[in-house]
Amino acid sequence: MEKCIACGLCAEKCPKKVDDEFNMGISKRKAVYIKYGQAVPLKYAIDPEQCIYLTRGKCRACEKFCPTGAINFEDKEEIVTIDVGSVILAPGFKPFDPSVYDVYGYGKIEDVVTSLDYERLLSASGPNMGHLIRPSDHQEPKKIAWLQCVGSRNNNRCDNTYCSSVCCMYAIKQALVTAEHLSGDDISQTIFFMDLRSHGKDFEGYYENAKTKGVNFVRARPHTIDPGPEGVGVSIRFTTETGETFEELFDMAVLSIGLEASGDSMALADTFGIELDMHHFAKTGSFEPVNSSRTGVFVTGAFQAPKAIPRSVAQASAAASSAATLLADARGSMTRNKEWPEPRDIRGETPAIGVFVCSCGINISNVVDVEAVAKYAATLPNVVHVENNLFTCSADTQELIAEKIKEHGLNRIVIAACTPRTHEPLFQETLKDAKLNGFMVEMANIRNQNAWVHQREPEKATQKAKDQVRMAVAKITYSSPLNQETLNVTPKALVVGGGIAGMTSALAIADQGFETLIMEKNNTLGGNALALKMSFRGEIVKPMLDGLIEKVSTHPKISVATEATLKYVSGSVGNFKSEISINGTLKQIQYGVAVMAIGGREGVPTEYHYGEDRRVMTHLEFDAQVMESIVAESEKAAAPDKGKMENPQSVVFIQCVGSREPERPYCSRICCVHSVKTAIQIKEKSPETQVFILNRDIRTYGVWEDYYQKARELGVIFIRYEVERKPVVNLEENHIAVKVTDPILQLPLDIEADYLVLASGVIPNQSRDLVEVFKCSASAEGFLNEAHPKLRPVDMSVDGLFVAGMCNYPKPIDEAIEQAKAAASRACVVLSKETMKLDAVKSFVTDKCDGCALCVDVCPYNAISLETVDSSLDLESASYAETEKCKDSVVATTLNGESHNLNGSFHRRIVTDSALCKGCGICFATCPKEGIMVHGFTMNELKAQVTAAIA
Amino acid sequence: MLIFNVGALANQLGVHRNTVTNWIKSGKLAAETTAAKKYAIEKDIFRRFCIGEHIPDEIVEKILTGAFEKPTAPKPRNLHNIPQREPIMRKKNLGSVMVVGGGIAGIQSTLDLADSGYYVYLIEKSPGIGGAMAQLDKTFPTNDCAM
Repeated sequence: MEKCIACGLCAEKCPKKVDDEFNMGISKRKAVYIKYGQAVPLKYAIDPEQCIYLTRGKCRACEKFCPTGAINFEDKEEIVTIDVGSVILAPGFKPFDPSVYDVYGYGKIEDVVTSLDYERLLSASGPNMGHLIRPSDHQEPKKIAWLQCVGSRNNNRCDNTYCSSVCCMYAIKQALVTAEHLSGDDISQTIFFMDLRSHGKDFEGYYENAKTKGVNFVRARPHTIDPGPEGVGVSIRFTTETGETFEELFDMAVLSIGLEASGDSMALADTFGIELDMHHFAKTGSFEPVNSSRTGVFVTGAFQAPKAIPRSVAQASAAASSAATLLADARGSMTRNKEWPEPRDIRGETPAIGVFVCSCGINISNVVDVEAVAKYAATLPNVVHVENNLFTCSADTQELIAEKIKEHGLNRIVIAACTPRTHEPLFQETLKDAKLNGFMVEMANIRNQNAWVHQREPEKATQKAKDQVRMAVAKITYSSPLNQETLNVTPKALVVGGGIAGMTSALAIADQGFETLIMEKNNTLGGNALALKMSFRGEIVKPMLDGLIEKVSTHPKISVATEATLKYVSGSVGNFKSEISINGTLKQIQYGVAVMAIGGREGVPTEYHYGEDRRVMTHLEFDAQVMESIVAESEKAAAPDKGKMENPQSVVFIQCVGSREPERPYCSRICCVHSVKTAIQIKEKSPETQVFILNRDIRTYGVWEDYYQKARELGVIFIRYEVERKPVVNLEENHIAVKVTDPILQLPLDIEADYLVLASGVIPNQSRDLVEVFKCSASAEGFLNEAHPKLRPVDMSVDGLFVAGMCNYPKPIDEAIEQAKAAASRACVVLSKETMKLDAVKSFVTDKCDGCALCVDVCPYNAISLETVDSSLDLESASYAETEKCKDSVVATTLNGESHNLNGSFHRRIVTDSALCKGCGICFATCPKEGIMVHGFTMNELKAQVTAAIA
Repeated sequence: MLIFNVGALANQLGVHRNTVTNWIKSGKLAAETTAAKKYAIEKDIFRRFCIGEHIPDEIVEKILTGAFEKPTAPKPRNLHNIPQREPIMRKKNLGSVMVVGGGIAGIQSTLDLADSGYYVYLIEKSPGIGGAMAQLDKTFPTNDCAM
């Protein structure tokens, strides 16, 4: 494996072609293969079930052609024993195989594909390089249908009664992305669905956006797909809510297949001796959402229940946190640190620039003529090597770059590809491995800033790409190596908010050995959980909450401050300083990281006569007043002498009160499950009570779908309403009159209700103060934002800040606990380091500074202050002069170190705090005399770049 | 009664699999088909056939007694067959964790643990990590590239 250089010759020579499972069998691969272009590790593997030699004893062609002798047929499977302190199981899911249904014709009708097939068809690294064509005649499809809930919410020919949680959203995504792939305005996308479940952060907006972009949403479950005329396309028959049956031709049908547990993961569970639930997912509890039934074995991802990527990632961090808590005393006992080779000294070398132009599959190359850009780059001054790559970010290209650095003695690299935000660190590491200073790389973003936005003007886009490369080359020519300062980390954490999420986070951090302070604005810990009776799974909240409060209050490493507010924050990751007010007294604190868990609350309804009559209640009020008595009374009924009090005859729930409306355009995620769960409780205790749930879509995502089914079996009546035709509520003497139009009967219904329960949405607690003091970000609705919606779901945009619980988005207890543990895990990544490296892009003072202090006021991070220095001991300017000397011969030294040594007296000058400085450059822009600049963006570099831009 | 499949027998006799198939088709080797693409033949009839084909006796005996070594091709191993070792429970915790599965969840767990000072063994059954997310084109709700 060490010998393989991933040249691909073995795969080229291999005579055996097999279906490529990565591309869902749409294309072929060889028996010796890599999974995909950017595979890690990038080493070819032999498929023992397909290899001609291993199955029939002859061939060995790959062995003959391999230039490095990396193929070893004698290699045997070996069993290795490893000793570990804990295990995390993340075997994932299996996409549902729809060929069990003959009605959908999958596998028989060519133009019926699964959503994962379709995903490969769309992908730039897919079988058609991102050119969307249908399988039958290789023509672009114009009219495409998506069929939801294939292998989900169904127990016919599959046991998947749960909702797979992700299919609604991925179908919308595919419908929207389809429009980007196809030319012409005659594109039509239709999604056939039962309930549209856009229950995550920013999902509802995405759904609304799809509607405005012309995606058709049809509430129907098509029952038959036939081949289209002459075997191309499909004919779909479906019945709408109004009872009319239609037959419509589509160019293609995509089956939105669900997620299910694979046989492998069941075997794995067996090996580890852990319990599975009725759907063959790992069994977990709401309060310990990543603990399996066996101590020390944690589960995460789709193995625990079907879920989307962000929750998988958060859960993965939660599992890491749980494992780390268990092994806290052994931390660091088995790890080694990565060390970089000493960078080559490039002072005195003339610039030798290597330019790597990325095709990004077809993301760039289908608009920009990358070869022309590469050819052009070769003509630029100081450029000694140019290359075009399919994926410049792939592991093999990293090796290639390192090789070329050695071969041509390159000392500066330009990457013309995508954004430095995501990819610069990768290239910096590549340079460091190749003994160059990591900052000798410049990226020209010819994808996001060019190919993606100029799709219709390929010629101009190519010209612009040339300009971008020219500017990058000009800038890097004047760059010099930068150093990253190190900083000590304060090993303490601050947790803002003392609800379940806050307390769980604090406990997880403290259990890993770090001091933690919980700040709670109220006078008690507990938050919303104080008002909750039970979790969705039915576990009673109070004992867990009491236990948690007890643990937090007595933990030697946790201190709790109630009635506390945050006044002021300074510093940055690793070293924050704050002033907090506890019950009126001010206190200074220092900490390395902070977790925001300030929670949310039930909104106060403004419609349906709320507040005018005590029979109209919100969820929490109903739980506290009525549910308690229903439960208690039915227990009393068991004792015959006490007599039975009357239960309500009829209860009506109205969903989406104040959610999914213009003023609060998001789905509150928890209300559907809460209503359905409450309805079941009512029916179980008092079967004669009539229960109605008026809804817009029932969003019992994931395994909660079982409750929806159970509620219907118990006789709960679900009636859908349109937002344009909301139920009308009138208060009468003896009952509440609710008028709603049933969309299936197409008749207005009058319901006489004893109680009306309004499923009011969740609103976030006031976060503006926090946002202001931490300079972090919040959504328009006031929910605190994560740094990346998929990959960094608990990190915030400000380093060292993490988010957990309902202040991020409405969520049930188990998800809040997951996120809290995840935040703790991410926080401990910072806290477990004694020192941390700072970013190198920081402001620095030059000897041109005369202490005018214009920059002091503009700095948003308070990183600049004034000082008085003896000019004869001018160390700062000496160091800058040294930096200048490092620069290459082409850089004319414009500064000298003697500008203001007037009469040998003292003078004023500014200093910058590099821990606080973010390198934003406002000071640089303000300074009239180049007295302060930013590393990596010095005047020389910027001048060169601007000159190149207008050249 | 000897039960065999064509490929294995051809290997043991040192002939091509088509040769064996032809023998059976022509009736020269009077074997009957059984379930799962296997054939059955009386041992005596097989012995007589081998003498006619000048196959050395020791090979014939090896075939009949089943003493031939199994072909070397690694078979996919069922997880159940992995010998379970009694876990050694130590008093002291080990600073290492095994993560099973190299999809996005497994990768995130691994990174968090490795970044905070634990040694991690990441176990993936396929030749590359990335899992299902690597197969996705873009992700909702931002349409970011999944890669």
